[in-house]
Amino acid sequence: MTTIKLQNLRKEFDDVVAVNGIDLTVEDGEFLVIVGPSGCGKSTTLRLLAGLEQATDGRIGMNGRDVTDTEPKNRNVAMVFQNYALYPHMTGRRNITFGMKSAGSFTDEDIDRRVEEAAETLDITDLLDRKPQAMSGGERQRIALGRAIVRDPDAFLMDEPLSNLDAKLRIQMRAELTRLHAELQTTTIYVTHDQTEAMTLGERVVVMNDGQIMQVDSPQVLYDFPENRFVAEFIGDPAMNMIDVAVEHGTAVHDAFELPLPSDGGEDGSTETSLGARQSKEQQAAVLGIRPEDFYLAREYPDLGDETFTATVDVTEPLGDSLLIHCSVGDAAFKIQAEPRTSLQTGDEITVTYDPERLHLFDPETGEAVYHSANAPASPERVEQAPRG
Amino acid sequence: MSTREIFDGRLEAALLLLPTIIVSVVFLYYPTALAVRTSFFDSGFGRQDEFVGFENYTTLLTSSDYHSSILLSVLFAAIVVVGVISFSLYVTFLIHEVEYGQTAYLLSVIWPYALPPAVGALVFLFMLHPTLGVVTGPIEALGIDLNWFSNGSQAFVVVALAAIWKQIGYNVIFMIASMNTIPDALTETARLDGVSRFRRLVSVYVPIMTPTLFFLVIINTIYAFFSTFALVDLLTSGGPSGATNILIFDLYQEGFSFFNFGIASTKSVILFLVVGILMYVQFRVTDKYSYYGG
Repeated sequence: MTTIKLQNLRKEFDDVVAVNGIDLTVEDGEFLVIVGPSGCGKSTTLRLLAGLEQATDGRIGMNGRDVTDTEPKNRNVAMVFQNYALYPHMTGRRNITFGMKSAGSFTDEDIDRRVEEAAETLDITDLLDRKPQAMSGGERQRIALGRAIVRDPDAFLMDEPLSNLDAKLRIQMRAELTRLHAELQTTTIYVTHDQTEAMTLGERVVVMNDGQIMQVDSPQVLYDFPENRFVAEFIGDPAMNMIDVAVEHGTAVHDAFELPLPSDGGEDGSTETSLGARQSKEQQAAVLGIRPEDFYLAREYPDLGDETFTATVDVTEPLGDSLLIHCSVGDAAFKIQAEPRTSLQTGDEITVTYDPERLHLFDPETGEAVYHSANAPASPERVEQAPRG
Repeated sequence: MSTREIFDGRLEAALLLLPTIIVSVVFLYYPTALAVRTSFFDSGFGRQDEFVGFENYTTLLTSSDYHSSILLSVLFAAIVVVGVISFSLYVTFLIHEVEYGQTAYLLSVIWPYALPPAVGALVFLFMLHPTLGVVTGPIEALGIDLNWFSNGSQAFVVVALAAIWKQIGYNVIFMIASMNTIPDALTETARLDGVSRFRRLVSVYVPIMTPTLFFLVIINTIYAFFSTFALVDLLTSGGPSGATNILIFDLYQEGFSFFNFGIASTKSVILFLVVGILMYVQFRVTDKYSYYGG
């Protein structure tokens, strides 16, 4: 049983604030992914958890025990690094056992048995007698995982473990990590800058920016109900379109088009009132968010909706499974993910429609989400989230 | 890799190489050849050179004084090399670990190396002088009777200490550079695993640093055999009664105090062979145990 609790955790490096007061609870056996752009403080958070950095302020609790000032070796966590961190002069087996043997808290038979088990789980038996330089990147990372597993730690801390692997191997290892977690059920905290990795691996995903937590939710909720502009734009590829509009009487008004906002939507039931408040004023500025995959060409989906407008094609990018159309209407530029093999040329006029269930409105000043046209997700998915400070 | 024409022709390349070649020939290869030639002659001031064949060699190889000088030199070199490497390694580790003031520590460690050997020897002389030395009092307070002007083994220890002290800076420069290339993640993994600091140094850092360490063993061996002359000359002049009479000092005396150029040349050839054989052995061992990246 391992639960980890971060309370108002803060880390400063000289005058740079890397982690700016975060609160987070990691449940027992959970696979939690922390995702964010470079420099958002995600790796620092992980290193604070490992004890490799000293917190400037705040507490770290593990299983109810305060470990804020505990030495790394006494926290019983195992870390997997991006560059594998294998001892280059040792064989795979010695890499796995070196730490255990040095710590001296395991008997030799115990170590042998654990190594055999881990080797079988990870399918690395034939790598044990090789040195890292004779292994591929994926094999090295397997050995590094083996080293983490054998110690049977309370938690795995993984710092971008797949970032050095090529795309194909990364997808393979991703699936393997999921399988491994299902088998071991060890609490895992996984840091990555890759939102695809975050979405596919995480039971819950923490989105971080500028040392703060932007949102903690399950992947689908993050995608469907981003709480702010940052999460909306960070999660999803290609990124969500953001168009400046004015909201008037339940309609998003732009110079070139008007989109009625379904009134039955609302976030946690509260957004409706907030939108209502906006509606009462004339011409409330807002940012309309629509994902490229929620726009459609009217000619391909004639029965989707009556609301259409005309846009001009700027550039097309064939992605194979879809066609990404960069287009503009008035002063607004946005992208549409359309069916592949659609023949379009720069300058063509297209009639665009959209999924009215997938509209988002953000406050132009604070970036907070003020409206989602879909109904709020069922509550169990939404785990208690700490206030941002 | 494709070959690239750097020079217009062979002539230009030869011209550019010429200064190095001239210096090497005049100051290195020609004197070496001359020394080998002189070692077969009975040669000295005011005497006609007389060819004696291998007589100089047989004289030396049957001389018990010379045997003990060879043994003494090898022992001296071994102590100096082991002492320099282990002490430098520990100092480097401490500097590597320390959080603040790395540069200050590094500078103070390198400083003795920047001194001319003669100055270093005089500093040691004044520090450890049996009657006037500044640290003599504290050492004698520990119950040690410091009289290395007359006690052979003490003299040997003092010269070895001076030689070690003088060479630490050079070693630390290379070791710190090598230690700094070890990825932090290895240190962090070891810390998470609860590997002790000593274990981390010996089992993680040292194996990765082996190429640098073996290079330093070679350099330190050459240093111990050849560059410790000034220390011996100024501290003990080879005495008392030959206790610090290492080969390089011995051959200097033979040549420039007794003016026996023939024997002195023979001694320098033998010194060259001794060091050469040691180098060969070291290179063989190096190749076997050194870890070269990957």
